Amino acid sequence: MYKVTSKKFIAILIGFILAFFLIDYIVSIVLSKGLEKYYGLSSNSELAIIGHSHLMLGLDKGNMESSLGVEISKYTREGVNLAERKIMIEQLLETNKNIKTVILGVDAWSFTDEGLSNNSYKLFFPFMDNESINRYLLTESDQLEFFSKKIIRTSRFNELLIGGALRGYMGNWNNLKQGKIDVVKLQEQIKSGVYRKIDSKKKSISILEQMLTTFEKKEIEVILLNVPTIDIMIKAQENKAKQVYNKISDLANKYKNVRFLNMQEPWSHKYHLFYDAIHLNPMGQKEITEEVIQYLNDTNK
Amino acid sequence: MLFNSWEFVFLLVLTMLFYFNVPNKLKTLVLFVSSYVFYAFWRLDFALLMAGVSVVNYFSALKIFKTKSVSQKKIWLSTSVLISLLPLLYFKYGNFFISNVNSVLSIIDYTEELNYLKVILPVGISFFTFQALSYTLDVYFERTEVETDLVRFCTFVAFFPQLVAGPIERSTNLLAQLKKSHQFNRIHFIEGAKLFIWGLFKKVVIADRLALYVNKVYENPELFDAPTLVLATLFFAFQIYCDFSGYSDMAIATARMMGFKLMQNFNLPYFSNSISEFWKSWHISLSTWFGDYLYKPLGGSRVSYIKWVRNIFIVFLVSGLWHGANWTFILWGAIHALFYLFENWGDKLLNKLNLTKIKNHAFYNIFKMLVVFIGVSYAWIYFRAQSISDALLISKKIFSNWSQPLYLGASTITFALSCLLIFVLLGVQLLQYTKISSLYFSTSKVPPLLSALGYLLLLVGVSLLGMSSQSFIYFQF
Repeated sequence: MYKVTSKKFIAILIGFILAFFLIDYIVSIVLSKGLEKYYGLSSNSELAIIGHSHLMLGLDKGNMESSLGVEISKYTREGVNLAERKIMIEQLLETNKNIKTVILGVDAWSFTDEGLSNNSYKLFFPFMDNESINRYLLTESDQLEFFSKKIIRTSRFNELLIGGALRGYMGNWNNLKQGKIDVVKLQEQIKSGVYRKIDSKKKSISILEQMLTTFEKKEIEVILLNVPTIDIMIKAQENKAKQVYNKISDLANKYKNVRFLNMQEPWSHKYHLFYDAIHLNPMGQKEITEEVIQYLNDTNK
Repeated sequence: MLFNSWEFVFLLVLTMLFYFNVPNKLKTLVLFVSSYVFYAFWRLDFALLMAGVSVVNYFSALKIFKTKSVSQKKIWLSTSVLISLLPLLYFKYGNFFISNVNSVLSIIDYTEELNYLKVILPVGISFFTFQALSYTLDVYFERTEVETDLVRFCTFVAFFPQLVAGPIERSTNLLAQLKKSHQFNRIHFIEGAKLFIWGLFKKVVIADRLALYVNKVYENPELFDAPTLVLATLFFAFQIYCDFSGYSDMAIATARMMGFKLMQNFNLPYFSNSISEFWKSWHISLSTWFGDYLYKPLGGSRVSYIKWVRNIFIVFLVSGLWHGANWTFILWGAIHALFYLFENWGDKLLNKLNLTKIKNHAFYNIFKMLVVFIGVSYAWIYFRAQSISDALLISKKIFSNWSQPLYLGASTITFALSCLLIFVLLGVQLLQYTKISSLYFSTSKVPPLLSALGYLLLLVGVSLLGMSSQSFIYFQF
């Protein structure tokens, strides 16, 4: 049996801990940079796309950049609610000083709290060195979680974020949700009442107003974009959806720099464009992106 | 308290600080307090239940030891076994019994139903009950010395590293070690820390990630077809291995850091080339428990052929029932009993046909390894399915519809990573099988620096890819 003296033991222990923190730091920096590239943070982009998965799968950043000839930041994250999108905007505006136009995702559930991920705050851990994100995470996570992630940097990531970082380095923003929605199954679900209900929470409306005020102050043009949701889903609660669209339209009218682009029609009944009831597949993304490019070209003439 | 929690790290550091710095006579007390804090962290009342089981076995063993009369010894043994098993029967098998009685009543058109018990299963009850009972049985069979120190005996039953999911220790091993005063040993600490990291990696990186896919498929097997069901079953084979062996590794490692040597619970089971070898490598502490306290008392293999077949079935069916109060577990045990018997018949046939030489061929052994793995994986269907009907549905489907595409789970990245991690596991195990890398505390041929780098990467892997602290599968047993 080999011998380990006290000195050697302490040296091994300290060496191991130091090496761990060194690797931890290097890996986290590499991944953070990849994520920044993926989301277009700390870049000179003039156009930013901000939203959740609905918009993430709705717009093709690559196609838009080549057609419009501008650098675009696509800061869209799965399951984030309006409050989190507000944090994302703050972060983006802090890191990207050249933003002139923002496409902000809205939909019939924009003012609904329920149904999005309860732990989407975890997606923000990689950026906890940013002051506003840090403040937000301190309120959302428990102390043990917060401080353990402060100390061990790689624990801020998960495979979704690692995947994002890798895609950032590879320059891959493709919509990977291949496939089409099973309409029969969706109709059955709606019939049995299993679908996300639309709500209009005052708090959420106020958050959107705060966002728009921020943009107004910074003289940034805003397009509130409603990427289509399948019509079967909207018909199940048509009146509530209309109320939300009207509210968004009212808000757009209230601000000079804001426009509402509702793309619900004529695409919502083209079922082959949908991956599921809310998200578009690559075919749907292509059609909607081209329409948005056309819109931007027309309005900028 | 879970091993993969900060609370556990805190408890372990505190325990070690006290354990190695108090006078020898207080060392056991430190472990006693830590063990009960560890358990009471979950439920205080169930800690008292464990204490009750310990006290019953402690006094019964003393009585067995002191009395000269064989009949008195038997009475004390029976009393101890009965009282120890009562909580297990009540908490674990009560509702199973009621459910079966109700099924029989409905068959005979009796309208009344028995009410179900509103109980939750105390974590690790099967483990601490079996550990306490093994001591009393050993005292009865004069295989171990009687323990007079109540605190030490209670610590033996509640020893926190292996309390809730084993390995199920024998008094001849653990109780004997508790009598010694361990000093901090740097080599033991390093060995323990290395094994802990590997166990943690298996649990939080591999097992918990595979669980996402397995749970999704096994919760609604009717929605999926053959390719997905087969893959989910294979994933489960690795999930349960990584989950349970990961826990065992962490238990053994924790004990090792404090100077204790617990028994090895797994020995590369998926590299077994026979069912009998599989059971010598899977949950070894339970297999040997059943071997010593059930199979051998029944006569083992030194009985007529019919009785031997009966003994095999009894051991596997009881083992199935030990795992859970559900017919799925019993059927799982029965399938393994059948595999065991088929294998025995196959060996006899080879002998008769004078084909024993074939056993020396490498290809034959690899082929058998594959067959055993497929057989064991097939049996896992019954272990994991939520009901017999689900298990039969899956069994039927995997032999029929192969035309449907493979379901890749909610995230393609998670799916790809799951597959990659299985290859990492197999790669490491291949190194262990070929004795290049160390298995438990055996010597390793890997250069120390490379080995250290490997453990560093595993630790970073835990931090980067570790999932949230889901409970361990074997806690429910």
